[in-house]
Parts: sequence; structure tokens; C-alpha cells
Amino acid sequence: MNATVSVSHLTKSFGRFLAVKDVSFDVYPGEIFGLLGPNGAGKTTSIRMMLDIFKPDAGSVTIFGGEMTEAKKNRIGYLPEERGLYQDLKLEPTLVYLATLKGMDESEARRRIADWLKRLDLYEHRAKKVQELSRGMHQKVQIVSTLVHDPDLIVIDEPFAGLDPVNTRLIKDIFEEQREAGKAIVMSTHQMFQVEALCNRIVLIDKGVAVLYGEVGEIKRQFAGNAVTLEGQGDFEHLPGVLEVRRDNGAWHLALETGVSAQDVLRALARRDDVKIKRFEVAEPSLDDIFISVVSEGRPAEEEARGA
Amino acid sequence: MHKLWLVAKREYLQRVREKSFLFMTLGFPLLIIGVSVVAGLVSAGGRDARPIGYVDQAGLLDRAVLPLLVEDRPSFTSMEAFADEEAARLALKEGRIAAYYVMPGDYLQQKELTLTYDEDEPRAAKTRDFSCFVRASLVARQPSEVQDLLDDGLTITIRSIDGRRVMSEGGVPSFLVPFVVTFFLFFAISTAGGYLLQAMTEEKENRTMEILATSLSPEQLMAGKALGLIAVSLTQILIWLSALFGGLWIGGRFISELQGLQLPWDMVLVTALYFLPSFVLIAGIMIAIGGAVTKQQQGQQVAGIINLLFVVPMFFLVLIFENPESPLLVGLTLFPTTAFLTVLLRWGMTSVPMWQLVLSWVLLTSSALCSIWVAAKVFRIGMLQYGQRLSLKTIVQGLRGQPAVRSNGEAPNHA
Repeated sequence: MNATVSVSHLTKSFGRFLAVKDVSFDVYPGEIFGLLGPNGAGKTTSIRMMLDIFKPDAGSVTIFGGEMTEAKKNRIGYLPEERGLYQDLKLEPTLVYLATLKGMDESEARRRIADWLKRLDLYEHRAKKVQELSRGMHQKVQIVSTLVHDPDLIVIDEPFAGLDPVNTRLIKDIFEEQREAGKAIVMSTHQMFQVEALCNRIVLIDKGVAVLYGEVGEIKRQFAGNAVTLEGQGDFEHLPGVLEVRRDNGAWHLALETGVSAQDVLRALARRDDVKIKRFEVAEPSLDDIFISVVSEGRPAEEEARGA
Repeated sequence: MHKLWLVAKREYLQRVREKSFLFMTLGFPLLIIGVSVVAGLVSAGGRDARPIGYVDQAGLLDRAVLPLLVEDRPSFTSMEAFADEEAARLALKEGRIAAYYVMPGDYLQQKELTLTYDEDEPRAAKTRDFSCFVRASLVARQPSEVQDLLDDGLTITIRSIDGRRVMSEGGVPSFLVPFVVTFFLFFAISTAGGYLLQAMTEEKENRTMEILATSLSPEQLMAGKALGLIAVSLTQILIWLSALFGGLWIGGRFISELQGLQLPWDMVLVTALYFLPSFVLIAGIMIAIGGAVTKQQQGQQVAGIINLLFVVPMFFLVLIFENPESPLLVGLTLFPTTAFLTVLLRWGMTSVPMWQLVLSWVLLTSSALCSIWVAAKVFRIGMLQYGQRLSLKTIVQGLRGQPAVRSNGEAPNHA
């Protein structure tokens, strides 16, 4: 399958500040691709280069199989990090204007906007001015404007910012639908649990460099390994090969010495009569853990960046 | 191309619905109409209907000319003859006449009249009417050939040497119209400049630039906005001109000097030829400023100075009246930003040589095209420099065709 967007070796600096260095990733139809990283890591700059808002200093972007053209802009839906709509204009005309700029016919735009507004509980606010809307409504309006022209590439920067749990669920469902419909979605966010729930693959950018790239499961397996989680009765301290024991919410978390596998621990436990085991599993780190460990260690990650 | 029209349409509809536009566009002509109505009413209401008295001791005044004078102008002051000064003084005291003249018996030798009035000096129109009466009476005494000659000779035609311009005596319309039109254009240009700047910074202040950048090209966005705003200005000027001519029409019913005012069509043509390039020039400059700053406030200060560049001819009005051929004015005619107003103002006072017209129009048009080219470049760089103010260096680099916002040489390695 051909990638919808292919970003290769992008580099960009502003004055003497190197914002993005040699970042590469591909995004395919039918996936939600996570673009992660701490604040100021270069995520938004990467997105802007991907969408031809910034010209990269080096590297190239292939979008829908070639360079960006005016016609291709109609196939892109972009929810920028800097949210903005014409504050003085009414909701519906604003959305119609933005939709027609994406090449939509005006009457068709009106019809689809009405559908979207109904679905997102905004229909009765359609005659209000944008500045009269709450932050959450504003956010939903922007999502409508991102999706109304049925784009093939959807780029969303922090899509859940300012949404309550009910609306978060709603928007999440919408993005999952879009994925089912075969759209390529690039999502930039800090909310790791959302990434875990939604994303198939991710790239983690830190200080302008891609430090992790690949499938979420694969990345987790890479970082899994030297720990087990278990529940049960008995004393799980002083097991052979265990480096550190931590009790966490009723469960035991055992960090293992290098060279000791989870299997070894399981065998050792099986030989003992003074313990009862209810649950035993290889501890899988959350993306949060991985994010924090990668970013705070600042480990030289070039080898992992292109690993998967 | 289609998206350009969408931008233009939205820009137009949004501006003309704005309160400030309605206020400026409708309020200004209402003010003009109001002033002219008030002026008309004052001059009509303040008119002293009392006749002028006279005592003709020389026997020169001929009442037979009076019906002719009244026929010529219905508001001609009526004249009342008195047998002697005593009777006239009595009439003045009783307030039946506004004033009286005494024409002594030796008037033809001395050429002196005495005017007597009570408290208020009679209005200029009345004394003018009386001199008319005296002159008409004197002419009536001449043989008929002399009368005809005097009659015919009253109209003087001024013709420029190349025969292009013909000016009639009674030059009120020839300088009044350009002056008034210039005044309106001065306002139109100032407001247009403000709108253009606002339209350019609006996207930055509302932070819609990124959405637009992924919807259409900067050139489409810029051209669409400029086009919409040209339409806004034309709407405004049309409303103003209709109000102006409406005002003149209403005023003409009260103020006799405005009657017979005719539109100088050659000037209309010149206005039409100069308007578009002048507008494009100011649009280009404002777009460039709007592209380089992030907030409207920052741009407004620069824009004020730019506006001044366009209206500088207004400061040389006295010179235009006194010496419309002065080298300074020729210079202003040729300088692109001042060309439009200078040509219009000089138009009323003199015949602007053809070479100056052609040269100034060519200079204006080429600098207008140049300004749009610069504006497009700066606008694009401004979009790329999202949220940052442009430095002069960046702009110059961009104009030289170097890749915009690209660091020179190798990327520094200090991340």
C-alpha cells in the first residue's frame, strides 16, 4: 500500500535554533498515526512542513504520491495547534466559507455542515458568533471544519484539548470511523492514553529528533522485558534474580537482573509452596512510561529512531 | 481561480456590513447633504426681501431695464425710486427699504454714489444688483450697435494653445468639481488603506492563516482580498458621488451659483484612468505592511505615513491655485503616490501637458504592478514566518529570490 504522506529527512532551523533534524515517517490510509513529543519538540514544525506551510531546509515530503499542489489541498483536513476562526462571524457562514475554500459546492457544504452540527450538538448555536461559543464548542466547530469536506488526509493537533469526557468519547468515535473509512490520520498529542487507545503507529520526537518510530505494540515489547507483575499471597521478596521489589496497588512489581527472564522467575515460584499466585504477567510498560523514560534519559536514540 | 472569487466575495460582504463602513459611507454624504440644505435654508431664510431705494438726481437710471434683469434672475433685488433724499430717509427709517443710493447730478463726472443704510450694511448681493442696474441703464443709453457689441463680448472663452482645453468664464465648476471630487477620493483612499491593512492582519489576529494556507495559495488569498476591497471602495465612491451630485442638485435650487454646474467629462475620464492603478499601488503597499506585521496596531503607524504620501498634494492647494505649472507640482504629478490627486487638482486650474499625463500614468501603473509583486513576495514570507514579525533583512532576502526563511549554509549542530 502506498503511503498517503511520506516525510523523509526533514530538517528545519529558525535562525540558529534547530527545530527539526532529520525526521522521517510514513502515514498510510486506514491508520491513526501518533506524532508524540514534549512541548517544543518540533511536532508542529514537522506538521507545517508536511503541509507545505513551511519550506524545509532539507529533506522532502511526498503527499498523495507527489509534491503539494493546490488541488491536493482540497483533500486535506487540518486542525492546527493554533485554533482560530473569525471571531466576529456567525458559525454557519464561517463553516460554509471554509468548506467552499476546500472546493465544496455551497449547497452541498450547507447540507453536510447541518449534519455535522446536529451530530455534535451545535445545530442550535449555528447563528451564534464564534466568540460567543464556549471553548469546547469552539473546538468541535474546528473539528467540523476539518472533516466537512471529507478529506483523505486528516491532520489533527491536540484534538481533545478542552473537551469533556462525553465529547472526547464522541470525537474519538468520529476519528475511529474516519480510520475505518480508510482515511490517513496524523494525530499530535500529549495524552498518552489516547494514543494507546487510538494509534496504530507512532513517532516520538524529542528536541527535533525522532527518537522512536514504529508500531505501538512493537515499541512496547522493546521496552518490556525485565520486569514482571504478579498478584497473590505470600512473600515475593528475596527471589533469586530479582533486583528490586515494589508493591503497587496490591500487586507486586519485580524488576529483574539482566539475563534473568520472566520464565526463570516463574519456575522459581512454582517450586515454592508458601506462595499462591493469582496473576503473573510480563510487565508491559505504558506509553507514558516509555515517553518519560526516553525523554528524560535523553538517550542517544538514532539507532531506535529508524528501528521498526 | 474560483477560490479567489470566494475570498473576494466574503471580504466584500463582510466589509460592507460593518458598522464603521455604514457609518463612514452613509454618514459622510448625509453630513454633506445636511450642510448644503442648512446653507440653502440660511441663504434663503436670511434673504432680505426689502427693496433698495434710490434717488436719481442725474436722471441716468432707466427702469425699463429692470424687467429684463428680473427675467434673467428671478431673485434680482427690486428697486424703488424716491423723488428726494428726504422721502428715501423716511422709508429707510420705517424699514420699508434695506438702504438707499443717491446718484448725484454730476455722477458722470465724479463717478461717485452715496449709500445710506440703517445699522446693518445691506448684503453684497443687493449692492451688486444695484451696480448691475446702473450698468444696464448706462448701456441702454448707448446706440444699439454698441449695445450688441457689449452684449456679445460678455462671454470670454479661454483656450489653451494646443486647443485641448476650453475654459469658459464663470470658472466655478471647473475648479469646484475637481476639488470636491479630490476631497472624496482623499477620504476613499484613506479608508481603503485602513481596510486593506485590517484585512491582511485579520487572518493573523484570528489565527486562521494555517487553515487558509492549507486551502489555497497565498497569491489567491491576497488577490481575492484586494479585489473584494476594490469593490468595497468603488461602492463607497459611487454612494458618495451620487450623494454629491444629489447634494449639488438640491443645493442648486437654493444657491444660484451652483446652477448650470456641469460635469467635466474629460476629468471623469482621467479619474477613471488613474483610479485603478492608484488603488492597486496603495493596495500593494498595505498588503506588504500587513504581511510583515503580526498585529494591526503595528501596521497602522506605518500606514499613517503611507497615507500621507498619497494626500500630500492637499497641502499644496495654495500653490495649485496660484501657480499650477510650478516645477514642484510637475514633480508631484510624476511621482506615483501623488500623481492622482495632483493631476485632478491641477486639472481644474490649468491644462496639464500631455507628456506629463502620459509619463505620470506610465510611472504610476508600473509602480503599481511592482508594488503588487513585492506585496505577493512579502505576504508569502509573512505567512511562512508565522506569528513572527518580519525583519527588513528577511524581506530583502525574500525579494532577491533567495529561499525564504531558509538558514544559510549548513544547519548549525547545537540542538
